[in-house]
Amino acid sequence: MNFWRRKTSGAELDEEVRAHLEMAAQARVERGVDQKEAQRAARREFGNVGLVKDVTRDAWGGRWLRDLLDDTRYGLRMLAKNTGFTAVAVLTVALGIGSNTAVFSLIDALLLRSLDVPAPRELVRISFGPPGDPEPMSGPMFDRLREQQSAFTDLFAWKNAPMVLTEKGGARPITGAYATGSAFPTLKLKPRLGRLLTWQDDEPSALSNGIAAVISEAFWLEHFGGDPRILGQPIIVDGQTATIVGVVPRSFNGITVDYAPQVVLPFIFDVAVRGKSSGRFRPDWTWFSPMGRLKPGVSLAQAKANLSTIAPEVLKESLPSDDQRIDYLRNGTFSLSPGRRGNSPLGEIYGRELWTLQALVGLLMIICCANLASLQLSRTFNRQQELVVRSALGAGRVRLLRQLVAESAILSCTGAAAGIVLSQWMGAGLVRYIEQSDFPVFLDLRPNAAIYAATIALAMLTVLFTGALPALGLTHVHTEEMLRSGTQRTVIHKKHPLAASLLPVQVALSLLLASLALLFAVSTGKLLRTDPGFRVKGITFFRVDFDERPEKGEALLDLYRKVLEAIRQAPGIASASVIKHLPLEEGGSDESAAPVEGNGQETKHLFANVVGPDYFATAGTKVLAGRDFSKFDRIDANPVCILNQTAANFFFPHESVLGKHIRSTEPKANRATCEVVGIVTDAKYNSLRQPAPPTIYYPYEQLPASGWGGFITRSHDTSAAVAAFKGALHRIAPDTPLLPPITIERLLEDSIGKERMTATLSLFFGSLGLLLTAIGLYGLESQRVAERRAEIGLRMALGAQRKDMLWFILREAALIFAIGVPVGLSLTFGASHFIGALLYDISPLDPRVHFAAILTLLSAGSLASLIPARRATNVDPMVALRYE
Amino acid sequence: MLEKKERYQNRIELLQGTLDLLILQTLQWGPQHGYGISVAIRSRSGEILQVDTGSLYPALHRLEKQKWIRAEWKVSENKQRAKYYQLTAAGKKQLSRELSKWSQFSDAMAGVLNPEQT
Repeated sequence: MNFWRRKTSGAELDEEVRAHLEMAAQARVERGVDQKEAQRAARREFGNVGLVKDVTRDAWGGRWLRDLLDDTRYGLRMLAKNTGFTAVAVLTVALGIGSNTAVFSLIDALLLRSLDVPAPRELVRISFGPPGDPEPMSGPMFDRLREQQSAFTDLFAWKNAPMVLTEKGGARPITGAYATGSAFPTLKLKPRLGRLLTWQDDEPSALSNGIAAVISEAFWLEHFGGDPRILGQPIIVDGQTATIVGVVPRSFNGITVDYAPQVVLPFIFDVAVRGKSSGRFRPDWTWFSPMGRLKPGVSLAQAKANLSTIAPEVLKESLPSDDQRIDYLRNGTFSLSPGRRGNSPLGEIYGRELWTLQALVGLLMIICCANLASLQLSRTFNRQQELVVRSALGAGRVRLLRQLVAESAILSCTGAAAGIVLSQWMGAGLVRYIEQSDFPVFLDLRPNAAIYAATIALAMLTVLFTGALPALGLTHVHTEEMLRSGTQRTVIHKKHPLAASLLPVQVALSLLLASLALLFAVSTGKLLRTDPGFRVKGITFFRVDFDERPEKGEALLDLYRKVLEAIRQAPGIASASVIKHLPLEEGGSDESAAPVEGNGQETKHLFANVVGPDYFATAGTKVLAGRDFSKFDRIDANPVCILNQTAANFFFPHESVLGKHIRSTEPKANRATCEVVGIVTDAKYNSLRQPAPPTIYYPYEQLPASGWGGFITRSHDTSAAVAAFKGALHRIAPDTPLLPPITIERLLEDSIGKERMTATLSLFFGSLGLLLTAIGLYGLESQRVAERRAEIGLRMALGAQRKDMLWFILREAALIFAIGVPVGLSLTFGASHFIGALLYDISPLDPRVHFAAILTLLSAGSLASLIPARRATNVDPMVALRYE
Repeated sequence: MLEKKERYQNRIELLQGTLDLLILQTLQWGPQHGYGISVAIRSRSGEILQVDTGSLYPALHRLEKQKWIRAEWKVSENKQRAKYYQLTAAGKKQLSRELSKWSQFSDAMAGVLNPEQT
């Protein structure tokens, strides 16, 4: 029977029964029975009209659905009547589920999700290097490996590379990637439009026939308006022309989780761009990140065995003979790891922090549930009268239980829906935290099945904890006793054991959350305040790409000089210089060097940087002795260098340093020795967390082969620097792509991005936990005061003082804290083992932090319980007693 | 008091599944409403079979759902609007199936209870 017709069939049934009764009465009247008596008899014979209708309706089927609807309708009505409770409850669930979903969706995107290709479990990542140091391999090594292996259906290599797209309007940076021709066939991807790259596209013959490129669906839609005529169109990337042959479907965003290439080109394209200097066939360029698809039935271990069998042959044929790292490389082995999820560099960086955050929001969820459960409990206590009446009217225990659970289910579902919406912008906020300056992070946070499943599971748990468990205890109602008492007050004064145990749990967990939040905040604050050894404010860096310029050698140096001079002359620029390795970026190179004079030792880990004249004045690194580099430190002048304090102390302990010489001990050194002309303070180029390594600075004009990073400027505000750089580039080297400026401030923030994220979010979650606990406490105390109005009135009438009454009410809160705080403290100490590794310069057991956390919790708690307690002391004994 | 008890004892509890057969059989003689069906069964069984309304109406609605009977609102002789049930073609087939099942059942019962007759 159609569900929507049920209402009319209900009316029909009513009429059918009425007709029956009337006919039965009529029959009796015809036999001479009195009208009224006949009606009574007919009714008696018929039996319980309501019951008959009920069992008849059962025959229609779908009874459970009808009951469910009844429960839902009733639940909605009860919740609508209690808007305050409903709002608080829905908000609690939404916050709990929202933050859990947001953090989980990030974990899912970065750490859990498989590549959206057929049978992703067959994919394996292959790397090469000495044990424990897996790295990409060279093009020739990949080729030999691919030819000789027999465990995979095929291998492919992938390399993400930022590229420059040239169009009529000018040049702009895009995200690009190189892929071997085997990549798309091995991944088994189907094109969205046209075709994908094949092995022929990556053959040297493609150089003469024209090179094929595929673009991402997002790029196709955004940039080309989804025009299908794009196929066959030329595209100019890195100064070379390729032909668009197809569009990659949007389900596939490259093999790196957070990097979505807009254009994918075959590796042979690099030969087209760089000609002889291309790294495609150079044995000393390790830039191929290979992956393979296992043959059916081949295990990872078998594949590993296969690769180690062929390794000697592959290495013999592909290792560079004259490389300085030859000893290092000869010890290398192939290592395999599951490639189901592709690469996730961000996941590797943020993994531990994200799981920590997930644990924190998990705790928050428990607090939310506990809070909701005690809210439900106290509300249900007030509804005892209703439950008793319903039970007296014949509602079974299961039916009552179902009603209470239905209400929780409505709350949870509404909360979960609101939570999913909330998680969307919380997730976007999280991504913004993770973003690095060079490229916008691409993360697919669209909720998928896994996230919905997690959310639904959470909602179900919420229903169970906040509805079913409390209801189980509450539906043990003593009908008679309560009906007999007849008042509006509840007879059962004893607290439900669950209600009593929930608040100490909340207090303990809130304390844990608060302590962790404070620890992270203090640690991050210390990191932010450490002196990096250079100025943070007002320093802007501009990367340049002069590869396409005709100037080479001395002319290129001159180009640098001209641009630098133009920037310096621009208004608002205090100082400018050149730098190769930016502070706090991954880059930098280790050198081995030794002092020429004295008896200092050799080091293999001398961090080297290449900078321009007046660099230290620009960067704000103090010159302790000697001088800064000047424009006279050129290729034809005396080779010079500057050491940081650590390096100076290392090479020349207890000696004067200026005028001494450093000898490079690299096998293929650019230069033999250099004279130390200055000592500067330590600056942290690698990580804020670690002390600065011994560092050597070379003047850039004396190391022309090292390749250039870019220009660094000091100015009052960034916009002046950007204008100066743009102007200089426009006048001296037009057509050079303008890369986005990078401020040191931003770099510093990025470098401690995960610490900042953990601190900010744990502070947020910590305050939420605190707020929820305070609300819970307030609710409990208010209810207690309301319940005991009469008792309080009586006591006061008998002469109890206000402060006695205050204590009478606060006693319970004190007990809750007396249990909750030690439990919370021991939880925190238990967790300190895991937390310690995430902290900088602070012990996880730091008493000041825990003291502050307890104090915060206590003050929030006392505030929450004082308000109802004060209300209790204001009870007028006369009024309270008369109320009885 | 005693009379009531006796009457109760004289009544025979309907066997599971026999009510459907009784309803279908009653409707064979023409469309009838719920009250009419209960009166007919009672009088034809010599006041022995009492059909409880709590069983009759669910059964009628169930049979209607199974499309063995169909219902129609009509006005009775007493100008009373009532819901009349009547057999459908499927219902007639079902009736003959139920009848043969019943005669098999009663033969079997008779055979067990009076073995010498067979």
